[in-house]
Amino acid sequence: MFENAASRVVFILLLFLNVSLLNGQSPPEKPKLVKCRSPGKETFTCWWEPGTDGGLPTNYKLTYHQEGETLIHECPDYKTGGPNSCYFSKKHTSIWKMYVITVNAINQMGISSSDPLYVDVTYIVEPEPPANLTLELKHPEDRKPYLWIKWSPPTMTDVKSGWFIIQYEIRLKPEKATDWETHFTPKQTQLKIFNLYPGQKYLVQIRSKPDHGYWSEWSPESSIQIPNDFPVKDTSMWIFVAILSAVICLIMVWAVALKGYSMVTCILPPVPGPKIKGFDVHLLEKGKSEELLRALESHDFPPTSDCEDLLMEFIEVDDCEDQQLMPRPSKEHTEQGVKPMHLDLDSDSGRGSCDSPSLLSEKCDEPQAHPSKFHTPEGPEKLENPETNLTCLQAPQSTSGEGKIPYFLANGPKSSTWPFPQPPSLYSPRYSYHNIADVCELALGMAGTTATSLDQTDQHALKASKTIETGREGKATKQRESEGCSSKPDQDTVWPRPQDKTPLISAKPLEYVEIHKVSQDGVLALFPKQNEKFGAPEASKEYSKVSRVTDSNILVLVPDPQAQNLTLLEEPAKKAPPALP
Amino acid sequence: MDSKGSSQKGSRLLLLLVVSNLLLCQGVVSTPVCPNGPGNCQVSLRDLFDRAVMVSHYIHDLSSEMFNEFDKRYAQGKGFITMALNSCHTSSLPTPEDKEQAQQTHHEVLMSLILGLLRSWNDPLYHLVTEVRGMKGAPDAILSRAIEIEEENKRLLEGMEMIFGQVIPGAKETEPYPVWSGLPSLQTKDEDARYSAFYNLLHCLRRDSSKIDTYLKLLNCRIIYNNNC
Repeated sequence: MFENAASRVVFILLLFLNVSLLNGQSPPEKPKLVKCRSPGKETFTCWWEPGTDGGLPTNYKLTYHQEGETLIHECPDYKTGGPNSCYFSKKHTSIWKMYVITVNAINQMGISSSDPLYVDVTYIVEPEPPANLTLELKHPEDRKPYLWIKWSPPTMTDVKSGWFIIQYEIRLKPEKATDWETHFTPKQTQLKIFNLYPGQKYLVQIRSKPDHGYWSEWSPESSIQIPNDFPVKDTSMWIFVAILSAVICLIMVWAVALKGYSMVTCILPPVPGPKIKGFDVHLLEKGKSEELLRALESHDFPPTSDCEDLLMEFIEVDDCEDQQLMPRPSKEHTEQGVKPMHLDLDSDSGRGSCDSPSLLSEKCDEPQAHPSKFHTPEGPEKLENPETNLTCLQAPQSTSGEGKIPYFLANGPKSSTWPFPQPPSLYSPRYSYHNIADVCELALGMAGTTATSLDQTDQHALKASKTIETGREGKATKQRESEGCSSKPDQDTVWPRPQDKTPLISAKPLEYVEIHKVSQDGVLALFPKQNEKFGAPEASKEYSKVSRVTDSNILVLVPDPQAQNLTLLEEPAKKAPPALP
Repeated sequence: MDSKGSSQKGSRLLLLLVVSNLLLCQGVVSTPVCPNGPGNCQVSLRDLFDRAVMVSHYIHDLSSEMFNEFDKRYAQGKGFITMALNSCHTSSLPTPEDKEQAQQTHHEVLMSLILGLLRSWNDPLYHLVTEVRGMKGAPDAILSRAIEIEEENKRLLEGMEMIFGQVIPGAKETEPYPVWSGLPSLQTKDEDARYSAFYNLLHCLRRDSSKIDTYLKLLNCRIIYNNNC
């Protein structure tokens, strides 16, 4: 039963609601107080937002009471502030007192009240924009021209008595620019602007702010046209700057002129270039290889003592049982050469060992156009190849050719008594430059005793030597290299027979020989290596003549009086050894 | 003999005179130098007012920031504002509440009101700092400002006393000021009640600092600039 009654009541209420909704009438929606503002801390205005009016004419009533009072007042002025506003005049405004304000929406159907708003006038201060903005261009005498902006404080603010403390902000820009230039001024009501662009139209705006409160809106734009002949710059300053910079430039030019070269060399030191004494680039360009080589020769090439540090100081000769010097089958193509061993890249002292890679083989591969030689035969094996005139002394070599190769160069005569592992036709131009150059230079560093003698005893180090044939006209690049170690075919040095033994043969296993130079006609001049302790070498003793060959593998040299004369004539021009890679 | 004795007496008198002069001079040097006598030193008064206005402006800024910070953090949706009405301990002071009233108030009255407000806040500020420190999760923004305000308040009080002494010479310096008794509510265990008490205190501090700032600026324009700011 109760349930029935309850449900009936609910039904009736819903019906009533539906009816009213169908009619479109309802109590108004709750209004909402939006904000209150005071322009000068003396009055204030509040605005509200009405809700839906429920289809019926709705009145709005604003009521308030103050902090500490119980009396409720109604809004004194609904008009001054515009629609949906309430204006509180001076009489009704108190500072430092809280107002509790409510707006009620009333219509036939009912009343809706807004949420109360708690307002303290001190904290809702927002002034008007400043008034009477004026712009003026001024051209005072003897001073820079400027734009003079003036304004007056916003309305309803009492600044004079100090009740309202105000600050201003001005912004301006040329009409077409996007960024504003802003200036802030506390208190004063004028501003001078310099640095204006002539011929532009400027827009100016200003706004104000109380000491504690909100910024005002920007004032409407004021504009001013800057005439084209507006003198912007202070010319005297620019003239001074121009003169100063000219003076500085002159000073710098003068300093550079005086010390230009030394400054340049200090900053950019010249890069030392490679220099080969006697090497004339022009001759090379012209292709006159002979003249080029002659030019090189005349400058005391191969160099003598300059290369000492690059060259081996001694040569060890090993007596190798094995047959490094095994005559190789003569091949048409010794490009590769048969190498029983490969290059030893270790940096040993230059000791030629039987196991070390043999440049010997390479050098032996190099064909000689003419039989020229020098010898150090090792054993009878060498004799087996009579065609080849090149004897190879094995020596350790590094591929970089760093002066470890003692090469004993000599001009060989046409006929060679010593066998060659290689046929002379197998000239291989394969060798890199520095191999050959090394050969030349390193040979110079070889120290020697009074005689170059190779002992046949097994302690001996093997000397590998090679004569490098020149005269290959067609090979310009190689020629330069080989020229220094040239041996002319028309040598008629007599090679002594190996059977004899000279008394000069030293019993020491290690001998030192120094190649002094290669003379013009291809004679190798050897010096006994001077012990460094002894100082100056005996320049007079030059060993370039082979007296005999003993024991099939010992070459005996004697001083050559003819060569000595030449020595005296030629000035050993000191030159740096060519740079080796 | 006689001349000797008289000369000795003379020298002694001279010495006595010099010493007494020195002693008297010392007393003179210690007082501030005012060309027109004390209480009318316009130059130094201007500087005092400038300084006082700066400090009071600063205190009001800090108080506003502190209140907003607390409101944002602890008072959202709690309706503390309703409890804050009429809760300031300084409401007994008859402070003017609009421009007309303030302009009609004599500067002596205004200054003593300022002094009363400043003195009455010494104690609450001290306890505010202590209690905020003890508040769990108290943000540094609130604590640092509270400490700063306490210090500046003391400084402003000193300055105001000097101004008062110059503007109104001979006025009685000690006037009764309202005493704050809100400490128990700051220390209560109930968190809501405690936060409400803090809210009240910060709300009143903001208001009173605004009063002091406004009155000082008014006095500055009136006394120094002759109502022509």
